[in-house]
Amino acid sequence: MSAVPATPVDVRGARWRLRVRNARQFARRYAARRDGVVGAAILVFFALLALAPQLFVGALQTVTTATGGPLEPPSGTHILGTDEIGRDILNLTVHGARVSMVIGLMATLITILIGAVIGIVAGFLGGRSDQVLMRLTDFFLVLPTFVLAIVLAPIILDIVGTDAELFGIRATLLVIIVVIGLTSWASTARIIRSQTLSVKERMFVDRARVIGGSRAHIMRRHILPNVVNLIVANTVLTFAGAIFTETTLSFIGLGDPFAPSWGQLLNAAQQSGAPGLGAWWYIAPPAVCVVVVILAFTLVGNALDDVLNPKSATR
Amino acid sequence: MSARYLARQSAQAIFTILMIVLLNFLLFRMMPGSPDRVNPRNPNVTVEQRDAARARWGLDKPLIPDQLVAFVGSTLQGDLGYSIKFQGQPVTEVIGDRFMPTILLIGLAELIAIILGLALGAYTGWRRGGLADRIGNGLSLILYSMPYFVIGMPLIIIFAAGLGWFPTSGMLTAGATYPGPVEFLTDLLSHLALPLATISLGLIGGYSILMRSSITETRAEDYIATARAKGLTDGRILRSHAFPNALLPAVTLIAINLGYVVGGAITAEIVFNWPGLGTLTVDALDSRDYPVLQGIFLLLGVSVVLANFVADIVYGYLDPRVRQ
Repeated sequence: MSAVPATPVDVRGARWRLRVRNARQFARRYAARRDGVVGAAILVFFALLALAPQLFVGALQTVTTATGGPLEPPSGTHILGTDEIGRDILNLTVHGARVSMVIGLMATLITILIGAVIGIVAGFLGGRSDQVLMRLTDFFLVLPTFVLAIVLAPIILDIVGTDAELFGIRATLLVIIVVIGLTSWASTARIIRSQTLSVKERMFVDRARVIGGSRAHIMRRHILPNVVNLIVANTVLTFAGAIFTETTLSFIGLGDPFAPSWGQLLNAAQQSGAPGLGAWWYIAPPAVCVVVVILAFTLVGNALDDVLNPKSATR
Repeated sequence: MSARYLARQSAQAIFTILMIVLLNFLLFRMMPGSPDRVNPRNPNVTVEQRDAARARWGLDKPLIPDQLVAFVGSTLQGDLGYSIKFQGQPVTEVIGDRFMPTILLIGLAELIAIILGLALGAYTGWRRGGLADRIGNGLSLILYSMPYFVIGMPLIIIFAAGLGWFPTSGMLTAGATYPGPVEFLTDLLSHLALPLATISLGLIGGYSILMRSSITETRAEDYIATARAKGLTDGRILRSHAFPNALLPAVTLIAINLGYVVGGAITAEIVFNWPGLGTLTVDALDSRDYPVLQGIFLLLGVSVVLANFVADIVYGYLDPRVRQ
């Protein structure tokens, strides 16, 4: 009993206090970035819309539940007018937030997962595996991903069929998610790899190896925590790209008319000839939402990159 | 430029192109509608007829190497198969018809965007933190967040549907006859104006943002301080010392971009119904015209690879440090 120190070192408490201090420091530095704060506020607003659109505008209107006449300009009953089959534009746009954000989020998760795993494994293992993985990455980096997505999406759709469903998400949307994820991980992998290369030269990695840590263990417990900052900043920027790609793919007709995203709404507007008819109220709401959300993600991503990334140029 | 650098870059480009051809081959095998899958469903097709069809299309041979070799061989000879939608027309012809309108549109748009984007970026970067920078950079970020069709649709509403200055779609007035080249050119230009503005605006943001950060870095270099100490005017330092050096990363981006724009401007073409590769892509997509889609994918893939190759060579030429 006498071997036990009188005041045991509170490792857990110390670690926790360190985390709180880091989080405070981060919050202070982030709060100094006005553009980042504005972007974050916008994203919170759209996240709320996406979480419970029916609370704000009721259930998604369909052909049968449409409340107005075709292409009515804004009025007291329809603040943003109606579309070509009489659905309320405000209703559609708010529900579009959910579809766009969910697709963006899931595509981002796939992108980051593939990118981070390939980046860490290639950077840490080095040698032959690194060469093979980086060749693959270069290939995907050079491929015109948008065109590949256009070629891949109908093939996958034809194979699985449009009526299939997974976790309540319709196949059409799943295909968009998977296609974006599969075609946009390459730049993430490159960034993570270069950071991994520098982290693995640090002393604590050698120490972990000496005391017998397996490669998988070292990658998980020592490399990953040290590249996680980079992953976070990259995730936000990837999110902006995913929404951009989703909007474009939906616009050219790969979206799901039964779960309209903003890009799908713009596609419907284009199909019904709204631009030529001067029906600005049909186009402006989804278009403004797309631009504002992508802009907000970019602002937050840049701010996070500056605050979290030690190598960032502007610090 | 060393021969080894050139050889390495060429080898990489050729490898990537071969991978694209291979991907094209694999995608083709995954597609629905092969005789193997369609014929068994039809009770009137006998086994002999099915086998005859398989033999005729070479499907009785093994996938690798026979079918692959045949595919790569015909691709290299410029045989991309036949379009489904435009019955019987070879894919190369279908794509060839749409090539020039896109090149005209994208080429001019790139030219405008490069000049305006680099100038805007250089100016805002040079005046970093000032009012002009905040407005210019804000504008660039907004433009950078806009897909082409989000720029194009409001332009139609305002300038075509509203003010009636420009036509809403197409490249030439349908059925028009022109007494002379002047009338033809006027018609073409009035159709060209809005799509050109759309793509230029869409590209300016990216170029401006890149140039701004590049010139900001250059501004901190010692030779800029030297130039200032020599008593050169601010404008002179920007023009003859900072700008040429900051151009280096921009040149690379532009070269790489030239490969991507053809694929990226698809939505701008749709909005204005411009008869180029973009509308062709969507038409092929709607009618599931896979051979045409594949041809476009191959064309764009190869052009991106070539653009990257040129970018590497130009960069190696301009900056001796990367040649090693």
